[in-house]
This record gives sequence, C-alpha cells and structure tokens, in this order.
Amino acid sequence: MLLNISDLSARVAGKEILKGVNLEVNAGEVHAIMGPNGSGKSTLAQVLAGREDYEVTGGSVSFEGADLLAMPPEERARAGLFLGFQYPVEIPGVNNVYLLKAALNAKRKAAGEPEVDAYDFLSLVKQKMKLMQMSETFLTRGVNEGFSGGEKKRNEVLQMLILEPKLAILDETDSGLDIDALKVVAMGVNSLRDPKRAVVLVTHYQRLLDYITPDQVHVLSDGRILKSGDRSLALELERRGYDWVRESRVA
Amino acid sequence: MSPAQHSAALRSFEEQWVARAPGTRAPGAREPGAREPDGLTGLRERALRRFLQLGLPTSHDESWRYTSLRSLASQSFTDAPRAAALGFEQALALEHSRALLGDRPLADAEAATLVLVNGYPLLPPASRPAAGLEIRTLSALARENPGLVARHLEPLPDAEELRWLLLNTALGVDGVHIRILGALATPLLILHVGSAERPDTVAYPRVIVEAAPGATATVLEHHIQHGAESPLSNSATLLALERDARIEHYRVFATGERAVHFDTLQVRLDRDAECRQFTVAVGGGLVRASLDARLNEPGASLDSRALLVGHADRHVDCVNVVRHAAARTVSRQTARAIASGTSRVVFNSKVVVDAGASQSDSQQSFRGLLLSPSAEIDSRPQLEIHTDEVKCAHGATTGRLDPNMLFYMLSRGLDRQTAQSLLVYAFLADVLTGMGQSAARSAIEGELIRQLPDSQKLQEFR
Repeated sequence: MLLNISDLSARVAGKEILKGVNLEVNAGEVHAIMGPNGSGKSTLAQVLAGREDYEVTGGSVSFEGADLLAMPPEERARAGLFLGFQYPVEIPGVNNVYLLKAALNAKRKAAGEPEVDAYDFLSLVKQKMKLMQMSETFLTRGVNEGFSGGEKKRNEVLQMLILEPKLAILDETDSGLDIDALKVVAMGVNSLRDPKRAVVLVTHYQRLLDYITPDQVHVLSDGRILKSGDRSLALELERRGYDWVRESRVA
Repeated sequence: MSPAQHSAALRSFEEQWVARAPGTRAPGAREPGAREPDGLTGLRERALRRFLQLGLPTSHDESWRYTSLRSLASQSFTDAPRAAALGFEQALALEHSRALLGDRPLADAEAATLVLVNGYPLLPPASRPAAGLEIRTLSALARENPGLVARHLEPLPDAEELRWLLLNTALGVDGVHIRILGALATPLLILHVGSAERPDTVAYPRVIVEAAPGATATVLEHHIQHGAESPLSNSATLLALERDARIEHYRVFATGERAVHFDTLQVRLDRDAECRQFTVAVGGGLVRASLDARLNEPGASLDSRALLVGHADRHVDCVNVVRHAAARTVSRQTARAIASGTSRVVFNSKVVVDAGASQSDSQQSFRGLLLSPSAEIDSRPQLEIHTDEVKCAHGATTGRLDPNMLFYMLSRGLDRQTAQSLLVYAFLADVLTGMGQSAARSAIEGELIRQLPDSQKLQEFR
C-alpha cells in the first residue's frame, strides 16, 4: 500500500478539524476526496505535506511503510509526495526555473543520483511546459509572481510533472479554472498516471472528474470520511448535494 | 552620557587640531596629520568649533538614538599612519579593483583606480588617467586653489546628524578631487583602505567628485581593511552634479568586524541631473552611513538604494536626508535590511520638500527582515512638506521570513537552509537587480552570500 491514513485527527489554531480520517491509497489508483467547504479537505492535504502549524493530535500515516508524520516536509517531498497547493505561494525574486531545478536536484540527491545536467533539465522543462501550454517566459519570472489563478495552477502541475512524485495530492487544482485550462490541467495529471503512482484529487466539484476518472471517490465532512464509492458517487453528489450524505449518515 | 566621558575623545581631536596648525612642522613634513599651509584654515577652525559645540553624539540626539558611542567617547585617537608606512601596495589594490571592475585590461583598471590609504592617496593620481577625468589631490588643490575647495566645503552643515562631516572638514589632511568631463567608458574605482597597527587611530578620507554638464560615469567607493586593525574612519564624499550629468555611485562598506566607520555622502544636483546611488553595508563592526542629498534645481532626480546587512554583532545605522529644493524634482529611497545574530540595523530617512518645490515626487520604501530572535531592526521614515501639489509616499515594514513561502519551498524538497537563504536573497533582490555595474554587483553578491547564514548553496543560483 502506498498511503495508509489511520484514524488521523488534527487541530488548526486550536480547533479540531480532522476527527479520525481513514484512507488507503494503492499505487496506480486515483482517488477523489470531495466535500463541502470547511469539511477539512485542505487541512488533510496540508497535514500530509507536513505543514508545521497544523497539529496532529492522533492517528498515524504511513507512506510506503514509513512513518510519514515523523518526516519533515522536505523529506516527504524527496520521498515522493507532492502537494499541489490550492493557493500557490508567490515568491518574488526567486526564479521559477531555479526552484524547479533545486527541487529536482534535492530529490535526485536523496535518491543517490547525480545532479541533473543543465541542458537535459532545460529541454525537459520546455517539453513539459509545452504540454501545459505555458509560455517559456514563465521560466525566468519569480515563482508564481504576478501569475493569474490559472497560470499558478498550471505551474503547480508543471512542477509535479518535473518531479514525478509517487503520490500527488492536488488540492482544488481545478478551482478557478475555465474549461480550457481545466482540460490542460487534467491532461497533465493523466500523463502522470502510471501503475507505480497514485493521485489524490481534493475537489469541491465533480467537474474535474469528467476529465480524470477516479477509481474511488470519498466524501469528507466534518473531519471524517462519511462515504466512499466509485465514480458514480461523485455524480450522485452533484445531483443530490452534500446534505444528502450528511442526512443519510444521520438516518 | 556625561561630558566627562566625552572628554577623552574630544580632547584628542583638539590635540590633532593643534598639531595641524601651520608652522608647527616644517613644510613637507610627512608625519600623519601634518598639513602644509593653505587658505582654508579659517573655514576649518569654524568647523572644529561647531563640532566641539555639538560634542559627540549621545542617545539624546534624535538621529543617534539607536547608536551608542559610549565606548568610543572614552578613547583617545591619534592620526592613522600614511600609506607608505603600511606595506599596502598598488599591486594589491589592482587585485581588488580588477575583481570589482570585471575583467578589464590591467591598464584600464590602473587608469581607473584611485587608492586612498587612511585617506592619503597611495600614489600621485595616475599620470595618464582615464580619458575624461581630471584628478588632483585635495592637499595640492587646497594650496593652489583654496577657493575651489572652499566652495565645496561650504556651507558647513548645521544638522546635528552631520557633525562627523564637520570634524572631517576640520581635521582632514588629504583626499582627492575628481572632475568628470564627459562620458566615462570605464567605471572609476576609489578604493579606500583602512589600515593601522592600533585601533585607537583615526582617518579622515575626503573625496570630491564634480560632474561637468552632461557628464556620465559610474563611481565606486569601496571601503576595505588591510591587516588586523582598522582606524576609526570618518570619511566624507561629495557628489556635485552639474546640469544633465548622470552618475551611478556605489559606496560599499566591507571592512573587518571591529572596524568603526562614519561616512557622510553629500549629493548636490543641478538642473536635470540624475544620481543613482547604492549604499551597501556588508562589513564593519559599527557603520554609520549618512546621506545628505539636495535636489537644487528643477528636474533633478535621485534614486538611492541601500542594502544593509546585519551580521554577527554588527551595528549598521543608515540615515538619509533628502531635500527637494526645486520644482519637479524626484527622489526614490529604497532600503532593504536583514539582521542575523545579535546585529542591529537602523534606518532613518527624511524627505524635506521646500516651499516652491511644487510637483515634487518622493517615495520611501523600507523593508526589514529579522533572521534571529536576538537581532533588531528599527526604521523611521519621515516627511516634512512645505508646499502643496507634491506626491510623497512612504512605507516601512519589518518582519520575519514568510512561513508560507518557506513551507512552499520545503514542500518541493529544498532543505531548510537553502530555502531560507534563497528567500533572504530574493528579499534583497530589489536593490541588487538595480545595480548597473555588473562586476560590482557580482562582487557584492559574493560578499552577501558569504555572510548569509548557511548560504553556500546560493552560489549556484547567481
């Protein structure tokens, strides 16, 4: 099993947000975690990536058998976990291509591989940028600096394509995208699908799932996974709304 | 601070004055501090009197609130030695200058380099200076044309923050006068070397740069230390830009960790003159960098950028006063400060817009970044406006590294030190990227990278 989340609870600013999440993800699978606003979806994503001001209060997470929660964020990344941010951070003055290269070299170093050749790296980046339909001018700009919402999301997927993580957690990567951009992002994600990798899509709407077909869909509400199912669960959610899950749970 | 604590330092300055009196030494005497008779004695005496009246700055003085001179006040100072006594040679200077000027032919670097050791020119100004330059020693010029020198030393400053300039005027023995006549192809490097066997010595380097109408040049002043000790350096530079002149000026403080430095930079701008100025503090133990700029005629503009690096227990105090004295004048002040260890950085800036300086436009932007819990950054932007119809903006913020930026980079696998250094470097980029002199920029970056915590990896990002 690639990722095993067991009874995970976490607090943000003193408030209990995750209240016992259980989730298993195998290599080769695509999971979608859906849920209403405030249900804890983004908190789950950030906790998995290792955000330090989010306090884990219980449970465990193993990643390829290792204790993920014991690892600092940079080690999680090097071990093959990638978080696509809901709100990618602007870092003026740090060149986009520098960050990409430093990230890739950090991963290669952890794997005992030599640093990437500068020429190979650039041609790899250019090829992936073409796939993401990004202009090469983004290379030399500050990380996400002045990017539009859609450009930031494409940049997240670009980073993912370069780093080729074992597990990609994409936190509302679809939000704020028009339909053309959504297709590009979906194509990027699909290009990474592989029997050795897994993807967890955190999303509010099922729209993205028209383009990336999930193996499993989970509904997160009030800090717990209330219901799991296949692709049809997402469609049913869209028809009947999140209240339906909450009510059926109570009943 | 009681006057009694002042007395040792002040008394020693008075003694230096007495030793400089014409007639106390034979003409041609080469002892440090000996001055041959010239026509400036009266002016110097007035400067000394005014300095003694003001006394040494204390924490009661508004612009010295954060910088204590308590320990300095109890020391006695004697004149720092002349160059010949120190073993600092032109060849050594050229090594520095070639690094700073980029890969230029030796002859170019030689023609464009002036070395002042403790304020005394190391060699007579180059016999074949770069085209478009006239260079004289101040001591010679003061004898031959005291009126010209006096014109630049007057009026004596009355602002309390410029009192070290008064002392430089009173006790300075030598320096250089440079007139830039046209467009200089090669940057002009003034290498200030502080060198002494004992720290209780003092030097008074003085540089006067005149830019003729329409002249353009890059002028770098680089302050370094030779040997284990550095004298107290009380340096002063005047940039006088005549109409349409354009100067890019750098002053870089890169002396040793115990060095004490008071530097005053005066900028005088005539009609449509443009000065771009960089102040970089990457060395020294105590550095006080003053800027006194006057935009005297319509259309003049000043773009001043400071990069203040607090490292270990360094104390950096930067104080800018920019006066808009004419209509349609423009000033920009940008300062970026970082403080690590137990260092402290102070930035005070003041813009004064005189009555009649309508349609003036000024901006002050200060950002400070604290890298350790024991470091401190203080800033105070001020505005004094005596006319309507002006555009004046100022902003000052100080904080720590943005945890969101840091987490973002960690989540991409960068180690914490690299991520932090990269963020610090990015923070300073606003100032660095504006530097037009790429070799100087690269030398400054190298020095910065050496001083940022855990920053070796940054080399690959340059």
